[in-house]
Amino acid sequence: MFTTGFKFFFGIGVGLVTAAMLYGYTSGGNWTGPISLGWKEGVGEHVGYGLLVLLGVVAMAIACTLIFFRDADPADQADYMGVDDIEPTQPVTASFWPVVGAFGAATMAIGLVLNTAVFITGLVIVGAVAIEWMMDAWADRASGDPEANRALRNRIMAPIEIPAAGAAVIAVIVLLASRILLNASKNGAVLIAGVLAVVILGIGFLAASDKKINRNLVAGLSVVLGVAILGGGVWATVDGEREFDEHEPHGEDGSTEVDHGEDG
Amino acid sequence: MAGLYDALTTTDHKRIGRYWLRSGLLLLIGAVVLGVLLGIEGTDAESTDLFGGDNAYFQMWALYRIGLALLVAAPLLVGLATVVVPMQVGSTNIAFPRAALAAVWGFMLGAGITVVAVLAGGGFGAVDRVTNAERDAIALTLVGLGFVIVSLLLASLCLATTVISLRVKGMTLLRTPLFAWSILVTCSVWLLTLPVLLANLLIAYVDLHNGPGTFGGDASGSLAIYGQIAWVVEQPQVYAFAIPVLGILGSIVPVTAGVRAARHGLSAGLIGLFGLLAFGAWSQPYFQNDGAIPHDEKFLFIAFGLAALLPVLGAMGGAGDTLRRGGDAIVGLPAAHLVGALGGGILLLLGVVAGALRVIEPLELGGSTDQVEGIGTLAVSGVASLVLLAAIVAAVGGFWFWAAKIGGHELPPMLGRLALLDLIGGAVLLGGAQVVSGFFDTVNHPLAVPTEDIADTLAIVSLIGAVLIGLGALGVVAAIAKAVRTGATATDDPWGGHTLEWATVDGAFAEPPALVTSESPLLDDEGEDA
Repeated sequence: MFTTGFKFFFGIGVGLVTAAMLYGYTSGGNWTGPISLGWKEGVGEHVGYGLLVLLGVVAMAIACTLIFFRDADPADQADYMGVDDIEPTQPVTASFWPVVGAFGAATMAIGLVLNTAVFITGLVIVGAVAIEWMMDAWADRASGDPEANRALRNRIMAPIEIPAAGAAVIAVIVLLASRILLNASKNGAVLIAGVLAVVILGIGFLAASDKKINRNLVAGLSVVLGVAILGGGVWATVDGEREFDEHEPHGEDGSTEVDHGEDG
Repeated sequence: MAGLYDALTTTDHKRIGRYWLRSGLLLLIGAVVLGVLLGIEGTDAESTDLFGGDNAYFQMWALYRIGLALLVAAPLLVGLATVVVPMQVGSTNIAFPRAALAAVWGFMLGAGITVVAVLAGGGFGAVDRVTNAERDAIALTLVGLGFVIVSLLLASLCLATTVISLRVKGMTLLRTPLFAWSILVTCSVWLLTLPVLLANLLIAYVDLHNGPGTFGGDASGSLAIYGQIAWVVEQPQVYAFAIPVLGILGSIVPVTAGVRAARHGLSAGLIGLFGLLAFGAWSQPYFQNDGAIPHDEKFLFIAFGLAALLPVLGAMGGAGDTLRRGGDAIVGLPAAHLVGALGGGILLLLGVVAGALRVIEPLELGGSTDQVEGIGTLAVSGVASLVLLAAIVAAVGGFWFWAAKIGGHELPPMLGRLALLDLIGGAVLLGGAQVVSGFFDTVNHPLAVPTEDIADTLAIVSLIGAVLIGLGALGVVAAIAKAVRTGATATDDPWGGHTLEWATVDGAFAEPPALVTSESPLLDDEGEDA
C-alpha cells in the first residue's frame, strides 16, 4: 500500500524527471541524450536539465524514505513497536546554545568578509556550541526525570565548562585591560593598574572573609567592574594606543632601544 | 532578568513563531517605506534622485525585490506556521525546537547583516563595474542573504518534520489540515530549491573575489549578481512563496461558512500540484545564455506558466463552492480573516493569470523589443508583486484567524478589514500597473527609459498602490498594538473551528487529542456531517 507521503514526493519526482526530459528535448538535446542522462549524445541546456534530474531523484529518495517509515503514522509506529500508544514528544529544555550558535555563525559570516581573526572567533564559538548542544540533546534523553538529566549533564560538562569559561573571562579581561593601559598616559596607566589591583584584592578579601556578605553587593560590584573594563577596553581599542617614541638602533649588535614613555 | 532569560532560551513553538512574525512585520514596514520611495523615484527617474545616484537606486530596487520574498513573505508564513502547525497536527511542540530557535535568531541576524550591508554601499552587483570600496559591502550582502537562506532551510526542516512525524494518532497525511499540508509542500519545495540559490550566492562570492566572469558571467559586472539570483523572484519559483495561500484559504473558508470542504483530498492534491509547478531552480537565465532560445520562450517555462492556473483556479472554485453551501452562516460584513483569505486567493489568481498571459508567445506580452532581450519586461516584477503580496495578505488574514493562538489577543475586526482592503487594493494597483506597463514593453530595470507614454501614467498608478500598501501595513501594526495595549483576550475557539488547534486551552492541549477519524476532528465530536 503506497502512503500519501510516498505518492506526493514520488509524484513530484516523476514530474520533475519528465520535465527534465521535455526540457532536454526542447532546448536542443539529441534523441538519446536526455533519456540516457547524457551518456549518449547531448542533453540540451545542461544546467536546467541537470537540476531537474537532481531534484527529481532527491524527491524520489524522500518518497522511498517515507514509505519505509509509513509516513511516520502514529498507529503504524505503535504497531511496529508492539505498543498500544507511542510515547508523546519529550519536552526539550530551555537552552542558550541556539542563540549563542546563531551569533557565532553571524560572527563567522562577518569575519569571512572583513577579518580572519573575527572568522576564527566565530568558528570557535560555533564549535563550542556544537559540543554543548550535543551534550544537552543527549542528556535530555538520558532518563524521564529532567532534574536527574540536568545533574547528569552538569557532572560531565561542568569540569570542562568552568575552567574553560574562567580562562576565557581572564583572557578577555587581560586583553581589554591591556588596551586601557596602553591607551592611558604613562602615569595614568600606573594609577589605573594600582586602582584595579586594589579593587580586585578588595572583592577577593570580602568574598574570602568569614563575614556574611550580601551576594547582590558582590554581584553588583562585579557587574560594574565588568562593564567598566568592557566599555573602557572597547573605547581604548577604537581610540588606539598612546604614542611611543622608537629610537634608531645603536650599539654594535644593532639592538633597538624603545622608550615606553609618552614624553620620550 | 528572568524574562530575558526565557526570551533567549525558549523552546516553546508559539514564542518562536512570534519572533518570526515580529521580524516579518518590522521588515514589512521597512519594505513598504522603500516601496513608496522607489515608486516616487520611478515616476520621474531622470530628475528625481532620492537615493543618491543610479547605483544606489539600483541596489534599493534589487533589495526590495529580493527582500519582499525572502525577508518579508517568508518569515510571516514561517512564523504563522511555527505557531499553528504543531497544534493543527496535535503535537505539543514543533520538531527540533532548539533548531527552530536557532533558525529565527539566524534569520534576524542574517536579515540585519543584509540590510546594513546594502545601506553601507553593498547590494547585488553594480550598474557599472564593482569598485574596491564596494566589494566588501557587496560580499557582506551575499553572506547575509546566505545566512537568511540557511535559517529558512533550518526552519523548513523543523516544520516539515513536524507535519511528517508528529501527527496525532489517526491523522494520516491525507487527513492533515490544509494549512499544515500546504506548509509541508512549501517546505519541501524550499528544501529542494533554496540550496540552489545558496550555491548561486557562493558562485557570486567567488566571482566577486576573482573578477567578474569567473563563471562566465557579465564581464562588465553590471547586473551580474542580481542576474544570478533573480530567478527566485520570477516565474515559476516565486509561486513557492505563495503555496500557503491555498492552505490558508482551505482552512479559513470552511470554518467561516460552517461546513466541511467538499473534497479535502482534491484540495490537498491541488496544493501539491501547485508545489510541483513552483519548482523554478532550473530556470536561471544567467546560466542559459546559449543564444538560441531565450529562457522564457522555452517549452517547459511556457508549460509551467500555463499549468499553474489549474490548481489556483481549482482552489478558488472549491472555496466558492464551500461559501455557497454555507452561505447562511455569513451574516453582515465578512470577517477580517475571510477578507484576507479571499483577497490572498484573488491576488494569487491575478498573479498566475498575468504569468500565463506573459508566456503565451503569439500575444507578444512577454516583450518584443531588443532592449527587453535577456532582462524581460516589467511584467516579471508585476507577477512577483501580485504573488508575494498575495502571500502577505493571506498571512495577515491568518493573523486575524489564529490571533487567539498566536498571542491570546482578539484583534479589532474593523481595523483589520480596512487594513486588508488597503493591502489588497494597493497590491492590485501596484502589481497590475507593473504587469500592464510590462505588456507595453517597459524593461524590468530601474534605469530603463520607457518606450511608451502610458508607462509614466502607470508609474503613478504604481506609486498610489505602494502608498495604499504602506497604509495597510501600518493599519496591521496599529491593530496589533491596539489589541496588546487594551489587552482584549480572545476565547480559545472564537470561530467554532474544525481542526485540532481550536481544542487547545491557552495554546496547550488540556488532554491528549482523541483518535482522529477525519480531516475536521472537531466536527466529528459534534456528530455534524455537513
